[in-house]
Amino acid sequence: MKIFKATVFALLVGFASMASAKTIEMDVNGLVCAFCAQGIEKTLKSFPATEGVFVSLEHRIVAVQLMDGQDITDTALTKAITDAGYKLVAIRRTDEPLSAVRARVKQQKALPAVDPAKHSHEGAKMEGMDDHH
Amino acid sequence: MKIPKLWAALGLLGLLPAVAAAKPIAFAKGTTVMTEYGAGTMEEFQVFYAPRYWYSLGGGLLTLESDDGNKQRHISYLRANLLAKRWNMPGAQANVFVWGGLGNATGNDFGGSVLDHNVGLQGDIETRRLYASFQSDLHESNSYSHRVDTVQLGWAPYAHDYDTLATWFVVQGRSYSGDLFKGTETALLVRFFKGGTWVEFGATTGGKLQAMAMFNF
Repeated sequence: MKIFKATVFALLVGFASMASAKTIEMDVNGLVCAFCAQGIEKTLKSFPATEGVFVSLEHRIVAVQLMDGQDITDTALTKAITDAGYKLVAIRRTDEPLSAVRARVKQQKALPAVDPAKHSHEGAKMEGMDDHH
Repeated sequence: MKIPKLWAALGLLGLLPAVAAAKPIAFAKGTTVMTEYGAGTMEEFQVFYAPRYWYSLGGGLLTLESDDGNKQRHISYLRANLLAKRWNMPGAQANVFVWGGLGNATGNDFGGSVLDHNVGLQGDIETRRLYASFQSDLHESNSYSHRVDTVQLGWAPYAHDYDTLATWFVVQGRSYSGDLFKGTETALLVRFFKGGTWVEFGATTGGKLQAMAMFNF
């Protein structure tokens, strides 16, 4: 019984953590022009759970702000990016609102032309973020 | 001529040299409208819709005039574009596109209208600072056969982002085969784009204007 309770508790905590995510950040390969960003933005905005989308070509990041209490599965995100013609490298979830993500990304230095961290899928985690591969 | 009209209207799509610099498929569920004025020898208008990111369908109107001004061709066409291969890399992307179509052509150097067949391919690679592309576009009918090969090399003085204006300087070389154009043409172009709007203009080394505008939505 104790094991059962502990399992249920762990699941609830995990679910609560996932449900509280406000923004999903994705590292995407192939983002080099405005048309790339335009297509991805259009695709992600079609999700009912999407509140807003931010694309940074400089940092190869696509961020989706979620509606309150809603989420988009990793499978759906992977399919959306793939169907838009690009390669999804990593997914992270954060409690930051989209405006904070935008501000943080704008302050960061541009990535080099080839980013080994994104190749290896072992990029350093940012504070408050979890990996969802 | 009835059947050819429809098919013919189909075929024409490959011609666009300047359009060659742009991609024939912008993004999934996106519409692309392009218009071009090419150094007094070519005018073109195109519309494509891409149900998926890897193919688009559409048509266009094309007018060609020989460099001596004696020959004119008018082609209306339908064309299908296919993204044969894409490489998505960190900070770079490369593509291979192929296309084919049918059109209806009229001209002052042959009688009536003829069925135009069109095939072509484009390879390109780009980062946010460098761009290179090659395009070959072939049009054939019972009355003519010509191929337009275009190479473009582009350099951006700064790396743009989605919310900033992109500026590119492009050197273009183009050769024509067949009986409409002869020789190779070199042009220097400046290209701007932001969001879904693309504007490009410049001049050939012969001093002729070249311009293109493209809208994606």
